[in-house]
Amino acid sequence: MIRNIRIYFSFLGASLKKMLEYRVDCLVGMVSQIAFQLIELIFIWIIFQNTDNIGGWNFTQLLLLYGVMMLSVAVTDLLFDATYDIGNRFIRKGKFDTILLRPVNPLISVLGESQTSTALGYIILSFILIVFTLMKLNITITLFLIIKILYFGILGGIIIGGFQTIFSISGFWTYKSNEVVWSVFQLHKLAEYPIEIYNKFIRVLITMILPFACVSYFPTLNYLGSSKGKIAYIAPVVAIIVWFIAIKVWNFALNKYRSTGN
Amino acid sequence: MAIIEVKNLVKTYKISEKQNGMLGYIKHLFHPKYREQTAVNNVSFNIEEGELVGYIGENGAGKSTTIKMLTGLLTPTSGSVIVNGLVPNEKRIQNNKQIGAVFGQKTQLWWDLPVIESFRLIKKMYEIPEGEYRKNLKKFTEILQLEELLDKQVKNLSLGQKMRCEIAATFLHNPKIVYLDEPTIGLDILVKDNIRKFIKDINKEKKTTVILTTHDLKDIEEVCDRIILIDKGSIIYDGEKEKFKDIYGNKIIAEFVVKNKTKSVTLETQEEDFEVIEETENSLKIRFNHDKLTVINIVDSISKYCEILDMHVQEQGLEEILKEIYRGEIIRD
Repeated sequence: MIRNIRIYFSFLGASLKKMLEYRVDCLVGMVSQIAFQLIELIFIWIIFQNTDNIGGWNFTQLLLLYGVMMLSVAVTDLLFDATYDIGNRFIRKGKFDTILLRPVNPLISVLGESQTSTALGYIILSFILIVFTLMKLNITITLFLIIKILYFGILGGIIIGGFQTIFSISGFWTYKSNEVVWSVFQLHKLAEYPIEIYNKFIRVLITMILPFACVSYFPTLNYLGSSKGKIAYIAPVVAIIVWFIAIKVWNFALNKYRSTGN
Repeated sequence: MAIIEVKNLVKTYKISEKQNGMLGYIKHLFHPKYREQTAVNNVSFNIEEGELVGYIGENGAGKSTTIKMLTGLLTPTSGSVIVNGLVPNEKRIQNNKQIGAVFGQKTQLWWDLPVIESFRLIKKMYEIPEGEYRKNLKKFTEILQLEELLDKQVKNLSLGQKMRCEIAATFLHNPKIVYLDEPTIGLDILVKDNIRKFIKDINKEKKTTVILTTHDLKDIEEVCDRIILIDKGSIIYDGEKEKFKDIYGNKIIAEFVVKNKTKSVTLETQEEDFEVIEETENSLKIRFNHDKLTVINIVDSISKYCEILDMHVQEQGLEEILKEIYRGEIIRD
């Protein structure tokens, strides 16, 4: 396990080096993603031109919630982005064969190929957003709070990455796997809003089944000092369960996989 | 004990059967039909440690499928593969530590990074001890002339440069067995020579077992001791290279453009040591053994019956030998 994680970081390091080789790509990716996020923020702003709260949350609080989710998505992008499209990136091109010939768990090799220029832009933007909104909400920024934000941010990224990995196995059978992963991934958007606004079904879905609420909603309550925010502390357990399932599912899929072509 | 034991190996693929046209595709969507195709049919062989084996056959004969099963990439439909005591597709990661593989144009190097970075990653992956890594790197750099390539990005290398790096990467962790699937395809003669020499050197020094598939008979000629010939999924020859050469070797095909033919050359030369494969009013195609005859001998013989206008001489290629073998036209001299 430790050896696998070490190799994963070696691979990831190589991917990041590769990314930095393409400075222009990197920059364009960052800027365009920041623009994309700003548009989403403008939407939230427009909604608040018509109402002063959503499920009891005001504009600033909602921005905070949004920022908390964005930070975790950025971490997912940075660490696990390669599972997003394994059908196209690895299997169709036959690259998966070379990965299977390495003396390393193939999942490690795949994850290690993650490289996304958008992640860095996301991380900076979301961090600014979180700190800025917290200050506006009269929360004192302490070192402990910063560490907590990073801790839940990274854990959230690991949880989302686990889900992405589970659904990435569709890539073994369909070259359109990115669309499957994308649909599931989009569910995280539900957790960009307070769960109070949803009906029971969606609440259960995003807290129990696909616990994206553990990534954004509960940590946000935690930063705001709400007692319900204590639920956020189960995030490590959620992460372990999700990844336990992800690894099992992935290995199962791998055994079913039949290498394409001759 | 043999380092590779293959027993009654079979691989069948499920091929989807589609009818032509849009309608056929739509039908297939709702009611898919499959038929089975056997790519490898009951193949058995043993390979000893340190052997250099050429695994040859036409395109689609089942070479790559066999190699994929040996490396553990594919699960056999039936039969067994044991590589150095391991079943490759069950103990994939353990098996990967002891083997190396080159698959034609697929690269194991990191495309956007300098070559040396790939080597470092390989060192980490295989946990190659520092001393061993340095020793191999120095040696490989020398034989394969990699000095100037190590700091270049892989994507900027030519095909020949890339393959040299690829070969070095494959041998870096001192694998016990190496599978080379078309390692010299598309390369120029100098690079081919370089790679062949490298393979032989390492084999001699480290007793590395090498299994090589190729369409270039020269690869076999220079590198291999043993040949396994596969056709339509079955082995049709397995034995020493020298014996193989005795059976099929040194055939030359000469084509002549002729005029004023007086007699049937086929009939007139029946007693001679060569064979007329084709004869028309204006042309002759003759096959002979270059150990026994020369083109001049042939010209002497046939010029008695016709006037030679032009001629074209070529060595019999592997494809033709294969075709002949398949048709059962093997002529043993």
